[in-house]
Amino acid sequence: MKILVIEDEPALLESILAYFTGEGNICEHASDFALASEKIAVYSYDCILLDLGLPGGEGLELLTKLKQLKKRDGVLIISARHSLDDKLAGLDLGADDYLVKPFHLSELKARVSAIVRRKNFDGDNIIHFNEMAVDVSAMKVTVKGNLVILTKKEFDLLVYFLSNRNKVVTKNAMAEHLWGDEMDLSDDFDFIYTHVKNLRKKLLEAGAADYLRSVYGIGYKFGDI
Amino acid sequence: MKLANRYNRVNILTSIVVFAITGLIYYVVIHFILTEKLDRDLVVEENEIRQYVSTYHKLPLPASYLDQKIAYKNLSGHVPEREFLYTRYYNPKERENEPGRSLITVVHLNGKAVEVTITKSRVESEDLVRIILLITIGITLILLLSLLLINRFVLNRLWRPFYAILNGMKSFEVARMDAIAHEDTRIDEFNELNQSVNAMAERVRRDYKELKSFTDNASHEMMTPLAVINSKLDSLLQTESFTAQQGELLADVYHATGRLSRLHQSLLLLAKIENNLIPDFQEIDLKEMVEVKGRQFQELFEKDGLSLTADLQVVEIKMSRYLADILLNNLFSNAVRHNITGGYIRVELSSVALIMANSGKPGNIQSKIFDRFSKSADSEGMGLGLAITKQICNLYGFRISYQAENGEHVFKVHFAG
Repeated sequence: MKILVIEDEPALLESILAYFTGEGNICEHASDFALASEKIAVYSYDCILLDLGLPGGEGLELLTKLKQLKKRDGVLIISARHSLDDKLAGLDLGADDYLVKPFHLSELKARVSAIVRRKNFDGDNIIHFNEMAVDVSAMKVTVKGNLVILTKKEFDLLVYFLSNRNKVVTKNAMAEHLWGDEMDLSDDFDFIYTHVKNLRKKLLEAGAADYLRSVYGIGYKFGDI
Repeated sequence: MKLANRYNRVNILTSIVVFAITGLIYYVVIHFILTEKLDRDLVVEENEIRQYVSTYHKLPLPASYLDQKIAYKNLSGHVPEREFLYTRYYNPKERENEPGRSLITVVHLNGKAVEVTITKSRVESEDLVRIILLITIGITLILLLSLLLINRFVLNRLWRPFYAILNGMKSFEVARMDAIAHEDTRIDEFNELNQSVNAMAERVRRDYKELKSFTDNASHEMMTPLAVINSKLDSLLQTESFTAQQGELLADVYHATGRLSRLHQSLLLLAKIENNLIPDFQEIDLKEMVEVKGRQFQELFEKDGLSLTADLQVVEIKMSRYLADILLNNLFSNAVRHNITGGYIRVELSSVALIMANSGKPGNIQSKIFDRFSKSADSEGMGLGLAITKQICNLYGFRISYQAENGEHVFKVHFAG
């Protein structure tokens, strides 16, 4: 997928680019308003990551610009402003999602993947991974054609892993993804383990390879062995 | 007590006392002067009688003149002192008894002592005194009445600008930009007050705006490095060449940044609730929300072997859905966090209150449980959850209370305040 990252903080930009690059993804970036509006006007992207506080202009104006250009690029707002007004204004102006800083890169990736899947939704919204096929809209998982019955949480977890293939995903990020970051969770994420264990067991039983690995006790990695 | 009332009371009381005293003095003095005059007239009469006696060697006729009566009485033996006294006097013309003033004196006629009583009517002087008294009382009453009227109408009007400013100050909100309303007045004090109040409001607003933009900027500036740390940690984790020990260190750093960003968000949320900046006010099905929340916490209950019992009635309540969610989150998290393994959580919802009871270690009651950063020593939380809960309750006029008994901790949110 083709992604434009509009972010003025170089360190953050670099991390995002590093996380997204690879697996056939093309990442471009813009760190000020002028460059961003130029790129938006000239090229089309699958998803645009938009920081609201930009040097040279207000990020929300870029959304208006996109609308005027009648572009259908997906937009994910990433902002340090944890304000309901900004969120509603952004979504009103046609943004697809809103993520508050600080965020986990895995969460960012999952959200971007979801947006891109929705945008490129042409008949089937299916993620293929080796012998696995995950139908996101029907919430169905098949391994080598065998249907695997997963709970809602296990399914979400699998989609999350698939969006972050070959990346280490922390338990913290997983918990926030599944239960929302508003939930004042304890810092002990052992209960995640149960879900991961069950998901892995079900996939293995259906004949999938063991793609899940625990990493340093911090998190998990799902990907090619 | 209002200033005008207080002033009125003092004013009227003083006036009454002063008028009473002056009236009394007036009465006594005039009475005295009139009596003096009567006495002088009586002495003149006495002298005339004495002259008559010494010239003609006989007593004048005991005739009654107008308002005057002379009487003689032969004395034998005891000779009385010359004296003035108040008597009654029969006015033959008016045919009634009138108050009188008498002079009793002794005249010696041909070696015999004769007692002479001269009496003059006091009716006129009494009338005079009475009229003077009536006029005084009348004037007093009129003065008091006019004082009351002045106080009632003039003072009220005079103070109106003051109350206008007071009302303006009462409805003053630091977040709003309008000036404090006032009535135009020619009274310097009120104009000055108005100017000072507006200048103060302006200063407060400016400070508030500065503080707010500082908080906004600080939050933004703090979130950015935090986001960088977080993303760098995520990137670092992908390099995958750590020992288990390094992994543990990484986990600790994750843990700390997670806490920091949650802390930051909680503080911002608190500030927002305090300033009533959460707009989405709507009708909420609280029963449904509690049920959903219970399902969300399922894993956490299972982890500690907690059992949840719920007795829920359908309750619709008007508040922000976002804040309702946070309120329930905090109550549930609290019930889980301060529970014991294999314990229970009981939720009761009625139109009166939401009750959240949980088993727990007995005896860790804190009176400052709703204060910021107050938490029990073994708590993993930040000590902001209940402060936020309380703030949300305050915002909507709910009353939250906490009780601990026999190892059961109970939080009650009363909806009707």
